[in-house]
Amino acid sequence: MRFGRTSKAVGAAAILALALSACAGNTGGNTPSTTGAAKQGGSVGVAETNGFSSFNSGTADGNSDVNGHIGYATHSGFIYIDDKLNIVRNEKFGKIEKLSDNPLTVKYTVNEGVKWSDGTPVSAADLLLTWASGSAYYDDADSKAKTGTTYFKTAADTSGLNLTDFPELGSDGRSLTLKYSKPFADWELAYSFPGNGGVDVPAHIVAQKAGLKDAQALIDLLKGIKRGDSKSPQPVNPQLKAVADFWSTGFESKTLPSDPNMYLSNGPYIIKSVVPEQSVTLVRNKDYNWGPTPKLDEIVVRTIGAAPAQVQALKNGEVDIINPQASADTVDQIKQLSGVKMLLGNQLSYDHLDLNFSGPLADKNVREAFLKTVPRKDIVDKIIKKIDPNAKPLDSELFVPAQAAYADSVKNNGSSAYQDVDIDGAKKLLNGATPEIRIMYNKDNPNRVDAYSLIRESATKAGFKIVDGGLGKADWSSHLGDGSYDATIFGWINSGVGVSGTPQIFKTGAGSNYNGFSDADADKAMDTLIVTTDKAKQDDLQKQIDADIWKSGYGVPLFQSPDVKAFSDQISGVTSMPNQTGVWWNFWDWSRS
Amino acid sequence: MSQPTQEEELLAQQALAEAAAIQTGSEVTSGLSQGQIVRKRFFGHTGALIGLAVFAVIFLLAFTSVGAFGIPGWWKYNHVDVSPLVNDGTPTSSLWPFAWGEHPFGQDRIGRDLFAMTMRGAQQSITVMLLIGGIAGAIGAIVGGLAGYFRGWVEATLMRLTDVIIIIPLLLLAAVVGQIANRRDEGSWLTGFAANNGVVILGIFLGFVSWVGLARLVRGEFLTLREREFVDAARISGASNARIIFKHILPNAVGVLIVNVTLTMSAAILLETALSYLGLGVKAPDTSLGLLVAQNQEAFATRPWLFWFPGLFIILICLSINFIGDGLRDAFDPRQKKFRAKSAIETAKHSSATTAPVTRTPKGS
Amino acid sequence: MLTYIVRRLVTAALILLGASFLVYLLTALSGDPLQDLRASNAPNRQALMDARINLLDLDTPAPLRYFKWLGGAAQCLVPFGNACNLGKNIAGQPITEALGFALVQTLTLVTGATVLAILIGISLGIVTALRQYSALDYGVTFMAFLFFSLPIFWVAVLLKEFGAIGFNDFLRNPEIPPAVALGIGAVLGLIGAVVVGGAVKRRLIVGGSVFAAVSLVLFYFSLTQWFRNPGLGPVIIAIMGAGIAVGITILVSGLKNRKALQSSLIVVGIGVIAYFAVQPLLNDATGLMIFLLAIATILVGVAVGYFMGGYDRGQSMRAAGLTAFLVGALLVVDRFMQAWPSYFNNSRVRGRPIATIGAGTPNIQGDFWIMSTDTLTHLVLPTIALILVSLASYTRFTRSSMLEIMNMDYIRTARAKGLSERSVIMGHAFRNALIPIATIVAFDIGALIGGAVITETVFSVRGMGFLFIDGLLHTDPNPVMGVFLCVAITAMVFNLIADLAYSALDPRVRIKA
Repeated sequence: MRFGRTSKAVGAAAILALALSACAGNTGGNTPSTTGAAKQGGSVGVAETNGFSSFNSGTADGNSDVNGHIGYATHSGFIYIDDKLNIVRNEKFGKIEKLSDNPLTVKYTVNEGVKWSDGTPVSAADLLLTWASGSAYYDDADSKAKTGTTYFKTAADTSGLNLTDFPELGSDGRSLTLKYSKPFADWELAYSFPGNGGVDVPAHIVAQKAGLKDAQALIDLLKGIKRGDSKSPQPVNPQLKAVADFWSTGFESKTLPSDPNMYLSNGPYIIKSVVPEQSVTLVRNKDYNWGPTPKLDEIVVRTIGAAPAQVQALKNGEVDIINPQASADTVDQIKQLSGVKMLLGNQLSYDHLDLNFSGPLADKNVREAFLKTVPRKDIVDKIIKKIDPNAKPLDSELFVPAQAAYADSVKNNGSSAYQDVDIDGAKKLLNGATPEIRIMYNKDNPNRVDAYSLIRESATKAGFKIVDGGLGKADWSSHLGDGSYDATIFGWINSGVGVSGTPQIFKTGAGSNYNGFSDADADKAMDTLIVTTDKAKQDDLQKQIDADIWKSGYGVPLFQSPDVKAFSDQISGVTSMPNQTGVWWNFWDWSRS
Repeated sequence: MSQPTQEEELLAQQALAEAAAIQTGSEVTSGLSQGQIVRKRFFGHTGALIGLAVFAVIFLLAFTSVGAFGIPGWWKYNHVDVSPLVNDGTPTSSLWPFAWGEHPFGQDRIGRDLFAMTMRGAQQSITVMLLIGGIAGAIGAIVGGLAGYFRGWVEATLMRLTDVIIIIPLLLLAAVVGQIANRRDEGSWLTGFAANNGVVILGIFLGFVSWVGLARLVRGEFLTLREREFVDAARISGASNARIIFKHILPNAVGVLIVNVTLTMSAAILLETALSYLGLGVKAPDTSLGLLVAQNQEAFATRPWLFWFPGLFIILICLSINFIGDGLRDAFDPRQKKFRAKSAIETAKHSSATTAPVTRTPKGS
Repeated sequence: MLTYIVRRLVTAALILLGASFLVYLLTALSGDPLQDLRASNAPNRQALMDARINLLDLDTPAPLRYFKWLGGAAQCLVPFGNACNLGKNIAGQPITEALGFALVQTLTLVTGATVLAILIGISLGIVTALRQYSALDYGVTFMAFLFFSLPIFWVAVLLKEFGAIGFNDFLRNPEIPPAVALGIGAVLGLIGAVVVGGAVKRRLIVGGSVFAAVSLVLFYFSLTQWFRNPGLGPVIIAIMGAGIAVGITILVSGLKNRKALQSSLIVVGIGVIAYFAVQPLLNDATGLMIFLLAIATILVGVAVGYFMGGYDRGQSMRAAGLTAFLVGALLVVDRFMQAWPSYFNNSRVRGRPIATIGAGTPNIQGDFWIMSTDTLTHLVLPTIALILVSLASYTRFTRSSMLEIMNMDYIRTARAKGLSERSVIMGHAFRNALIPIATIVAFDIGALIGGAVITETVFSVRGMGFLFIDGLLHTDPNPVMGVFLCVAITAMVFNLIADLAYSALDPRVRIKA
């Protein structure tokens, strides 16, 4: 092969280049290394299952876990709930005074110096807007007749505040007094519960966006409108409608609005940036001094749906705190990680078996026989123990073990009769009969499928004929209470604090009373319960109701849903918490070493 | 410079002669019917034969072990019964010394036998696959054939229908099917049947929507075939449309059809897996391979047998069906050379001979 | 032609109308949007249910609701109308907005993967077709089917475990034990031996040299901690550039065309010199600048080819242009490698560069190189996962299409008239094999917009697939319809383009006007 002239030239050029490069080497780029994150307080990454979608987590649409958590970190209120499910008052934010028990009158005063991040003080107008949105005071809608208007689309339970008259505003411009028409058991939770109608929305911004002059104009507007009545619906009030609509939907956004007024904070943190469906970054609110002071400078919330993805992100150091859906395998995977701490606990939701008070189970003996066959210990051993080795069957229909009254209630409620499977006892009660029982459950929930399988296995031994009435996730709930089954396995969520949930499930004919439970004693106790404001008395009544339920062969609670949290060992201050606030409840204690 | 040298020309001629020799050499098939040729070609395809054998073994294992159609099988457990956990659910089988043990594939967390569940799952997956393949093949052949043969308004109507169905997302249809299969309150025979045979309904419905691709292919095939001389000959000699379609065109298009049906079938297994993963497929406590893998995906690091065994069966079924399809394609395509180990080596030689001029340095340049 | 296009568009609109009606009804029928509330024991359950009924307008029967939806959707057709209304989802977010976010996420996730899968798949398909029934053919077929059969969520979990967590751990102390280096070398050597084919001796030589080269390079990397401070430097660029020049020339014109080879080599030389010249420029790079530089590079290459000329000027220009582009790419890769240490030590990255979730490190700041590296480290795993599972169809399709063409009469004619095997394959067979592949690709683009549901779930990307499946699981027709519209319209448009391209490429196909 001969080289052409060009080839030689190329060769020479190449040799020259090599010689040059030998001198130069790889000099490395001039890319400046950026620093910016690690200030003295440090930053923590928290995994959340869903994407952030609203700056007002109190609305029906915006009421998701992640919105609630971010709302909790960026707002303050009169109270918060601790990991023992106690209501803690934040005296630095303001004070709550019960002025009278009958009529129940409560005064809320915000401390001086508490302000929104634009400098506007938190005022009576903010308190009034909070009340207006959480009281359904102006609503005159009738859902059956399709008349009237629902103004504020709140996620909160309005039954408590709806008992109040239009509040009296203090002359200091930062207090408000509520007067209840009858005693309300959960009055402490009815107003200013963070993430559920807390003082989360700045009234001066809502007023301005709704076309009013200022916050005072909003107060005047609200003062001028009478209580709504669904029996005589009034024409829509356009100004109130504008205010309510802005409150309901105006704060929905997946991105950070260009107008900083849309995400004002009155809490420890301010939202700094939002990447839709990916992350939300919170930074310290410099003015904040009206509550527990956070240690971290920054919290980065990252959206990670699947549990294995959360565990792997923790392992890879992309997040520091995770709260994945609990399963034995997730727990085992977390256990294998080094440098990670795990918290095992319970959620407030629990699965239970309910028997219909009709059909083959109308006879109390059959009900009791069936309950005797339910292998509650076996179910917990096989479904929950792999996750939480200390798990025990739940023994109360009304309390969870995290509550102080649980132990006491369990002693006397009659649950001891159903501790172990008693096939012989069941056979005796059945007296040779072989009733056919159709069990309905959600087929897409593996825990319930497995619980069904175990119950079927055991009940068949006593002579029951078990029919699989399981339905897919889209179907099962619409069949609740329609009589197409005899027994059902599903879950309730215990509110942890407050008692209004009890009559909702157990009162005769109540909305969520699907199995037809009716007990005169229990009904009477619940009527008293709902107007009792004393905690000790509430507990006594609940214990009595619990015993009534067990005595009637209502069904049995099976287990509390386990809860798994894990965090990097560089983070301290994270504790277990059963309610929806989860790890966030004491985010101010988090710190990075 | 790139003028072919004499040597290259010679080489090329030689190669052509070789190719011709191989062509005629392989045409010992003259005098055999199409079916016989196809069979012969197919059984010469090692990959396809292995695939067929593996699939046959899985099929027999799945349908005899846990029983089907109400006939009990030879395995002692079934997919719903709970038995006490042996050795915390780990598989009891071992390769050396070889032993099955009580639960060869292990148990899930509440003690169901995984071997029984996997076999039941394989049954379900194979059922879905065969149903989709059969229904999609039949509808695809009819619609594509009619459209391609008659043209005109028949074609326009049928092809627009195909267009509508092809853009409806499959996941959506599957979700609706899942709904119907889960409704049991309305008491009609369909819902009653669906409640007990969810997987059959799933297979039938997915079959009803998976035919569109096939229909397009068959139509294309018919469009070319109907212009061929033998079709004209048949038409002139007075054959009816039905006779032309079934006797003359269909046998020539059957290759395309069968090959693509097998490919649809292997995709069907994966479709079922994906649907179950998303919670839209077979529902517990009944089971399918896809559901087993999806349910146990988190267990892959901690209790890997729950994941591996059903996963292995998915891969085996999928691979064997794909290789069968591959063998069928080679067997049906008359243009492709007959495959036999010997001739494969010859082809290799032949092709290396023709590529030789590239690698050798030509002397003349 | 024009009438044909108009007719196709009108049919498409009618099909879309019919299909969207069906999709709406099916979604509405597929479940119960109130299901999570029905089983709730919240005291304000009824109020929440009323709110949702109101939001989703559940009191109106589904067929009527479709027409309401259609009314809003029709406004999207008004140009610059800004009145586009596709409804809201169950969380009250407008669908148009949700679609915007999802589309961006999905496109970043799947575009690269699809392009790479097509390129790799077609190349593998051609190679396996040329080596029908060889060990390579069987090997590739088996692997393709195997990857095709693997559940993607499982592939993804394994990738995260080893590709991200394992690799990041390795980067902490990037030393490769000698045994591992030898092992990797041996595996790659074996693959090399299988790929190269031919006589045993040739296979042994190739396999052996691949083994030696790979092992040595790995030793070198381990000694110099290359993975922490990677870089190519002009020497490597020159050597690799020369290899590229030869390779491209073989493919484009054959080595016999000396002018083409020379122009490619000159371009490599220019590239090495440019390496020193552009460094300061690259420090302030932007996406646009890289794009312009790429075009300039190609133009320089083409110009070199033009001036070198030769009897076939076109071939020289093509070879030099392609070489220039690839050498330019090497320079960019080198610049990325220079940015690597500062990315690695960035306080947001904390020394764990490969990410398992999301599309970017939150709040990271830096220049073009840092930001692009960040995107790349987030995309690398989902891209690999998607490539693995979608490789099979392209490989198999190209293989069978290529085999069919290779048995055509005109290929025999081309061979008979003495064309080299290279020009037979590249000039005649490959081009014609591409025609049917174009249809498949057009079809896949629709699916691409639809997102990769499972991949998105596993890698925490909220794209179109997520939007669709989330809507479906909540029995919420609006997001489902939004995704459906995007997918269907893209699929139809690309089908039309494919058909037009088909008739342009294949003179046998004529459009009936």
